[in-house]
Amino acid sequence: MTPAAPLVACVAVAVALAGSYVALGGTSYEPTPVADPCAPRPARETSGTGERVEVVLLAAADETACELGVSREDLVIALRSVDELEELADREGRSRDELEDALRAGLVRAVDEARGENLIGETTAGALTFAAERLPLGLLLSVLRGASSFLD
Amino acid sequence: MSGRRRRALIGLGIGLALADSSVVTLALPDILRQFDVEIPEVAWVLTSYNLVLALAAVPAAYAARRRPVPAFAIGTLVFAAASLACGLAPSFGVLVGARCVQAVGGALLVCAALDLLSEADGGHSDARAVRTWASAGVAGAALGPAAGGILTETLGWESIFLVQAPLALVTLLACWRLRVRPLAEPAGRPNVPANLALLLVSGALTAALFLLVLLLVDGWRISPAAAGIVVTIMPAAAIATSVVAGRFGGLVTRAACGCVLIAGGLTALGVLPGSAWWWTIAPQILVGAGLGLTLSSLTERALHGRSPQAVHGGWTIAARHAGVVVGLLLLTPVFTTALDRNEDRALRAGAAAVLDSSIPPLDKLGVAQDVLALVRAADREVPDVRRAFDDRPDDEEYQTLEERLVSELDRAVTAAFSRPFLLAALLALAALVPIAVSRREPSV
Repeated sequence: MTPAAPLVACVAVAVALAGSYVALGGTSYEPTPVADPCAPRPARETSGTGERVEVVLLAAADETACELGVSREDLVIALRSVDELEELADREGRSRDELEDALRAGLVRAVDEARGENLIGETTAGALTFAAERLPLGLLLSVLRGASSFLD
Repeated sequence: MSGRRRRALIGLGIGLALADSSVVTLALPDILRQFDVEIPEVAWVLTSYNLVLALAAVPAAYAARRRPVPAFAIGTLVFAAASLACGLAPSFGVLVGARCVQAVGGALLVCAALDLLSEADGGHSDARAVRTWASAGVAGAALGPAAGGILTETLGWESIFLVQAPLALVTLLACWRLRVRPLAEPAGRPNVPANLALLLVSGALTAALFLLVLLLVDGWRISPAAAGIVVTIMPAAAIATSVVAGRFGGLVTRAACGCVLIAGGLTALGVLPGSAWWWTIAPQILVGAGLGLTLSSLTERALHGRSPQAVHGGWTIAARHAGVVVGLLLLTPVFTTALDRNEDRALRAGAAAVLDSSIPPLDKLGVAQDVLALVRAADREVPDVRRAFDDRPDDEEYQTLEERLVSELDRAVTAAFSRPFLLAALLALAALVPIAVSRREPSV
């Protein structure tokens, strides 16, 4: 056996293992892509006011995210607090006021569309529109976060 | 006392001191939680020991060559006392401080042990003493994480240090009626290429042990004991390979083969196809085999023909542990940056999974908020998103969503480890350059 033979064998073993792992998809990590908020989503079966309001809120998130050019998921993550919403505005090069206006407008549009499709009644639509237009931002976020418990 | 028994006791001392460079690896998540520190800070429990050992090794070796037996005894006593202090440390600062003192004792113990081993053989075979010394060090470093993991799980991380103290004291029996004549001849210059190769390989091996353990315990949430058993594959492969190491050729060829295997194993760890422990088996076998071939052959190469050996043994210890420090300082920031980046991407994908799931719409915002709260509370650790489902129905929709979120996070965490493992593979390959140069290094 030549002195190089063990070295060649070791190189072959190392390349074989690393190569087989690559072939099995070892370098292909990509997080599951998030959907385009501007593209329409498939309609969802709903039952009860609570579920319908949730659908309206998700549609509002899509409307706002589309206008701001961010993903719906980034927006929902930022809805945790006013501070996180301001961080999102900074990241996207927008002012807090711009972001707040887009959020309120998106919610009002989603409520109007839902009312037009008879998804929600006048009372619920009125309450949501009032919240979107009149409540201070912090309180509006609390309402959005706690919408489900309000309606339970 | 028979020479064999004396050698075994000295080997135990070397193994204990060098195991300490990695023994706490599996305990780091527990230490991190207990003292409320972050990953870069907790790495100092490892870094401080290795840094001080690297800095103290050569001065300790010069001290040990004059009076090897007292040096071994003093080193052992300091090591044992500092181990107790680590086990009883009331704060993170005290723990790191005690680790530094422990390293000073360890340096004195390990360097003096080389001359003691020669004398335990009746001074007949320096080569055999070097082999025993190198093998005890490799065994200690390789078995350390597994032993530490099992102790952490069964008795708590403190037990790692508390168990060491009495074991270290037992090794003092090796000094009984042992006389070692001090050597007056000049030490000569160290074998720079072999020591540089040791430094690079040790940096790469740090990744193999430190990052793999973090991936198993913190990333994939495997218990420390189970992770300890999983990482036992590496020392088992190292021991098995060292038995047949002679078939790989001379010291230089063996060292080169080992580097290639370590690089191959680390590359495979950097491109894991899935997030399960069994994917790590084959890479661990390669890294372990490389460990068994490289560390002892490079140590023997560095000591070959050099006398007095304690000083050159000191240089090899300095090189190895400087390599561990380089590995930790180089790879930890790469890893934490990648983890932060991937966690953000996984969080976005997780939010999409919740919003698009078929769980009742009323609960979507609730689940999303609970997952986000867990992520924020985890604060640079990997969150346990399963807890968001603790109080939710056991329906198929919830189970599907839970599995999807866990899978999303597992994939993101596994990918975060990719770059540091690949960087470590480059370190192992870089060691081939000094190994090639060391072929021309004359014995002095």
